[in-house]
Amino acid sequence: MVREVLVWLQTGLGKGTGDTAQSWSEALLGSLNFWGLLEGTHLISLMLFAGTIFVVDLRLLGVTFRRTPVSVVSDRVLPLTVAGFALVVATGLALFFAKPLFYYHNVWFRAKLVFLVLAMLNIAVFHMRVQRNQSDWDKAETPPSAARISAALSLASWILVIAMGRFIPYDWFECGKPIPHLANVLQDCKASEKGAIDKGDLSRLKGPAK
Amino acid sequence: MNSRRITVPTLIGAGLLAAAALGVGSAAAHHAFSAEFDGKAPVLLRGKVTKVEWINPHAWVHLNAAGPDGAVREWMVEGGTPNTLLRAGIDRGTLKVGTEIIVRGYQSKDRSCEPICKANGRDVTFPDGRKVFMGSSGTGAPKDGSDPTDAK
Repeated sequence: MVREVLVWLQTGLGKGTGDTAQSWSEALLGSLNFWGLLEGTHLISLMLFAGTIFVVDLRLLGVTFRRTPVSVVSDRVLPLTVAGFALVVATGLALFFAKPLFYYHNVWFRAKLVFLVLAMLNIAVFHMRVQRNQSDWDKAETPPSAARISAALSLASWILVIAMGRFIPYDWFECGKPIPHLANVLQDCKASEKGAIDKGDLSRLKGPAK
Repeated sequence: MNSRRITVPTLIGAGLLAAAALGVGSAAAHHAFSAEFDGKAPVLLRGKVTKVEWINPHAWVHLNAAGPDGAVREWMVEGGTPNTLLRAGIDRGTLKVGTEIIVRGYQSKDRSCEPICKANGRDVTFPDGRKVFMGSSGTGAPKDGSDPTDAK
């Protein structure tokens, strides 16, 4: 179901008639400059986003700006984080649109989404629960453990999101190649155009390695 | 006493920032040659172009050619971005399906040719003898003289 929508997004949407007609997604992927501009903007806005959220997390951990109230740090820094986040999400969606099926069948991308969801849940918990009594510890050099755990989870999940994203372009676990069974399952290679080949199956097919 | 309390979290924080900086640093190298290709496995492929994927971040040239073992198979050879190739003088007009080309490059590390043989392309020679660098610079590929921007 999801895959069908992505197939349409990649090959159908915006496609005209004629032999050389391309969908919008294909045109974006083949563009001379625009795709590179998107990728560069994605990385630069990622630095703005992650760099600023790390400052807030480190303050909550009691590592930096210990004598500045948490609210002062977050009021100054978080607007930048939000701006970075808006840019990184917008360019990320556009990059996804350029090859939806590639990302859909990419284990790193799937892992990245999992950690992204965890990071967002952590933000929700922080705002709805941890922050409720912030006035009690706003000036504390080391905020209470709930806030520190929240900050540590934030740091860990965003670093993992970034690391998983960095691995996306590498073809180690590409569908259609002989890859571990687990990778075939996690990426749903069976549904992909290139199919699923388990590493063990192939060696059995070809006989023992010499 | 107080300074000791600061030291441990500071170290953790510094470690985390260093890890993040490493991540960003490797991002600058975009797509490291040695992660997928073997600099000790040069290939010379001669054959007709069957398909060209003009896509980012790497174009892929497909051709039927004999590999190191002599068997003729379909190869897909990684090039630079469509933009890089255009500036090097390779475009849809010069690299058409059916064009007979010679590609120098390096085979993928897994060498499985499954589902298709893969190589990183260094230069391509056209039927008129024109030889053009088709790769990306700064990927860590062997300095084999094909990249004109490599220091001599």
